[in-house]
Amino acid sequence: MLRRWFLIAVPYVWLLALFLVPFLIVFKISLSDAAIARPPYLPVFSWGDSIIDFIRELDFENFIFLTEDDLYWKAYLSSLQIALIATILTLLVGYPVAYAMARAPEHWRPTLMMLVILPFWTSFLIRVYSWMGILSTEGFLNQFLLWVGVISSPLQILNTDTAVYIGIVYTYLPFMILPIYATLDRLDGSLIEAAEDLGCSRASAFWLVTLPLSRPGIIAGCFLVFIPTIGEFVIPSLLGGSDTLMIGKVLWEEFFSNRDWPVASAVAVVLLLILIIPIVLFQRNQQKQAEADR
Amino acid sequence: MNAPVFAPWTDQSAEPMIRFRNVTKKFGDFTAISNLNLDIYEKEFFALLGPSGCGKTTMMRMLAGFEEPTSGDIIVSGDNIGHLPPNQRPVNMMFQSYALFPHLSVWENIAFGLRRDKLPKDQISARVDEMLKLTRLEKFARRKPHQISGGQRQRVALARSLAKAPKLLLLDEPLGALDKKLREATQFELMDIQEKTGTTFVIVTHDQEEAMTVASRIAVMDEGKLVQVDTPDRLYENPNSRYVADFVGDVNIIEAKASPLDGDRYALHWSEAEDALIGTTSTALSDGQSCYMAIRPEKIAISADRPEDAANAVQGKVEDIGYLGNMSTYHVRLNSGSLIKAQVANQRRISRRAFAWEDPVWLSWTATAGVVLAD
Amino acid sequence: MTRTLTAATVTAALLGSVALADEVRVYNWSDYIDEALLEKFEQETGIELIYDVFDSNEVLETKMLAGGSGYDVVVPSGTFLQRQIQAGAFQQLDMAQLPNSGNLWDVIQDRTAQYDPDNAYSINYMWGTTGIGVNVPKVQEILGEDAPIGSLDLIFNPDNMAKLAECGVYFLDAPSEMIPAALAYLGEDPNSHDSDTIAKTEAVLGGVREHVAKFNSSEYINALANGDICVAFGWSGDILQARDRAWEADNGVEIAYNAPSEGALMWFDQMAIPVDAPNPEGAHVFLNFIMDAQNMADASNYVYYANGNAASKPLLEEDVISDPAIYPDEETLKNLYTTTPYDARVQRQVTRLWTKIKSGT
Repeated sequence: MLRRWFLIAVPYVWLLALFLVPFLIVFKISLSDAAIARPPYLPVFSWGDSIIDFIRELDFENFIFLTEDDLYWKAYLSSLQIALIATILTLLVGYPVAYAMARAPEHWRPTLMMLVILPFWTSFLIRVYSWMGILSTEGFLNQFLLWVGVISSPLQILNTDTAVYIGIVYTYLPFMILPIYATLDRLDGSLIEAAEDLGCSRASAFWLVTLPLSRPGIIAGCFLVFIPTIGEFVIPSLLGGSDTLMIGKVLWEEFFSNRDWPVASAVAVVLLLILIIPIVLFQRNQQKQAEADR
Repeated sequence: MNAPVFAPWTDQSAEPMIRFRNVTKKFGDFTAISNLNLDIYEKEFFALLGPSGCGKTTMMRMLAGFEEPTSGDIIVSGDNIGHLPPNQRPVNMMFQSYALFPHLSVWENIAFGLRRDKLPKDQISARVDEMLKLTRLEKFARRKPHQISGGQRQRVALARSLAKAPKLLLLDEPLGALDKKLREATQFELMDIQEKTGTTFVIVTHDQEEAMTVASRIAVMDEGKLVQVDTPDRLYENPNSRYVADFVGDVNIIEAKASPLDGDRYALHWSEAEDALIGTTSTALSDGQSCYMAIRPEKIAISADRPEDAANAVQGKVEDIGYLGNMSTYHVRLNSGSLIKAQVANQRRISRRAFAWEDPVWLSWTATAGVVLAD
Repeated sequence: MTRTLTAATVTAALLGSVALADEVRVYNWSDYIDEALLEKFEQETGIELIYDVFDSNEVLETKMLAGGSGYDVVVPSGTFLQRQIQAGAFQQLDMAQLPNSGNLWDVIQDRTAQYDPDNAYSINYMWGTTGIGVNVPKVQEILGEDAPIGSLDLIFNPDNMAKLAECGVYFLDAPSEMIPAALAYLGEDPNSHDSDTIAKTEAVLGGVREHVAKFNSSEYINALANGDICVAFGWSGDILQARDRAWEADNGVEIAYNAPSEGALMWFDQMAIPVDAPNPEGAHVFLNFIMDAQNMADASNYVYYANGNAASKPLLEEDVISDPAIYPDEETLKNLYTTTPYDARVQRQVTRLWTKIKSGT
């Protein structure tokens, strides 16, 4: 009995410590006011003060402020748009890779899997930096294209949205490939043969059988890319242009340039609320998948 | 009333529906099918029987179009289909795993092939309903494959492969996943459906009982070659080799040296300590040629005393009794040391069984009961 | 002085720290010291030196305001220092432990006192100006021999910028530098904290926005040196570094730095000790070491920035002390202005204005 209770308690304690407590702290800061102090907001709770008095000083001013300036909802929308386009691009690149991996000879697959995971062995920042080296006007890509003669003057790719998309697709590709590969790998090859036997060409068997059956993997992959991409900060700030508007950058500016921790926290709380929708949808997809597998 | 016997393979003028002509299939260095010729006739229920790796599945996959022959021709209704893709063949297949589309309902699974033919909606619907009725699945039309039982899934797979009314239906171990009782019931159901639809069935199986039950003819395969192609009864009674005798049914194999008597009768010397056995064969054997006598256990009589007029009689001791309900198998150790199995129908209640362990008994059989096979 | 986030910052931000008594942890700007000095410090004092770098005042400030950074010496710029002193992030210096403080240069001390009254919390490390770096032959080829390379007219007049756009112009991605410059161009007080006055800069900056290839605070060094761009508005030392790199590469690029005639921002990087420094005694030892005339001269000779140490001047190399781009002459010095930190409301207006200029939203 005690053992069972313990087993149930562990994930909840985990959730409490790693999600709920930090969230409540951020939420509390979002209800505070900015101040020149250490830490730079008021009120600061200390044991011994009356909790009632403390709570009285909190208000939703910062959330109201977010609605007054169009910067914030534009940044949220722009982030959603960038995340959506990047997710579709990642899917378009990732699906064929996953498909080829699943169709590759058995003895090749561990190697291919390794190659997909290999980039994780290097620092994420170093990999994004190397893309700066590749994409800059004097970078490898432009030098190569000039050498081949495809272009006569260097292309401006770095510091544009194109570079942001390249960065996101590159960084999150494994998160797209692995779940799709997992569903394709489990896919019974005789289903494709059955479809062909019943009159499908190779292409229509793919559309009518392979694609629908890999849907759980596609959905999982899309969420795994979409969710972190909305709040992405490092890629747009290193590869994007000054005009790449993303909520992660706005949050950074609130936090660092304006030193307004309460507004920054409010931005973060709203971001989290926006993310809850896809996260819940993702959970339901996973659950449905688990039930179908049973 | 004398119904015409269905045996087109005996009719010289009959045109086979499927012809394998010098078909060879290689996977790399491995030869799966080696220079094979086979004719299958319309409306036949034809079984490919053999142990795993014998090439029977390769034969079926070449018919379905999933494998191309390395050389030779496969002719169906006069057309060489050896290199046609699967979707252009008048052939459908029922897969061993059933291969039902898990994202589609039973109804949609059955309609899948019809929809590919771009048939009008009402026609598709009528045909699917017909198939549901044939396989008694009407109640499950809206269910997904994971919501029905194994036996129901098997019937969906059958209905789906029959929906397009193919000239030829291939069945790959269709009953392998069912338990014994359901399997036996389904065997008769399959035969019934085959008769109703008049479709030519080719079934692949490793289960000789199943092949014997359902098939009009059976091809026994070994290592990419046909060993014997014959009706079930002839295969059982007249195996052409030790391999077939051993593979089809239970059999006692006795190794011996032949010496001709009169006509097709031979004396078979098999043991220093025992008398020679008497057997018949149409194959001419030379004096002293080594051969086998294959004798089915149920053709051996068991008695306490030596029977008077038996062509073959040997004495031994009951070592083991296998009780199967309807019959019992006696394992009898002969004086010479060999073990012979004899089967006796249990016509009486078990308390009255005639023989017990360690009882001395006589085993006997007639000269024509066994088959004499050259080495 | 603001720079964009880079790998070093993030890495430093992720590193936790537990201090020991016999070590000093210093958090300074990247590429801002001669490493030989660090070794010298360890040998002379026997104190182990742990040296981390950052390249953004904002990151440093966030660490200071959050507290518990674990550093003993940090180097914020003047305006940031002032706000952090107000927030109570630093401890007063104990002058008794800093005998070398007599070496400091009173001219600079007077100016830094507006951020740190009585210089009670900090000592000056380096200082410099923000101005215009140009690829002289390129710009003269486009705008003629009399191109205004020493004036803000070069970068804020849309006519000039429209022509210069073809060879490339970079601006600092730092509103606290760009808005005072735009105010100076308009003839307003560069240190204005008035909302309406600051709002006027939107027309100036917005008017040339489309001709600016990039807003970035670090890439212009390479871009100028390689000849990828012909104009950059940036920090003196960085542009001088670009000039030297072009010399070394001998690629025909000739860079010049000018503090704008309309006035140039003078900034100061100050060394201070966090209020919760684990080893304040060690921190004082480090500050005293840095204020040694020879050590400070070595540092300036290495990084090409002016320092606030009068005693070090005779020890500086000729190409440092006599370069007006590093040590401005009396005339230019009069023309330099300083800024004070914005309050929260104006800071928000400035950040918002900057976002609007860059992103159009």
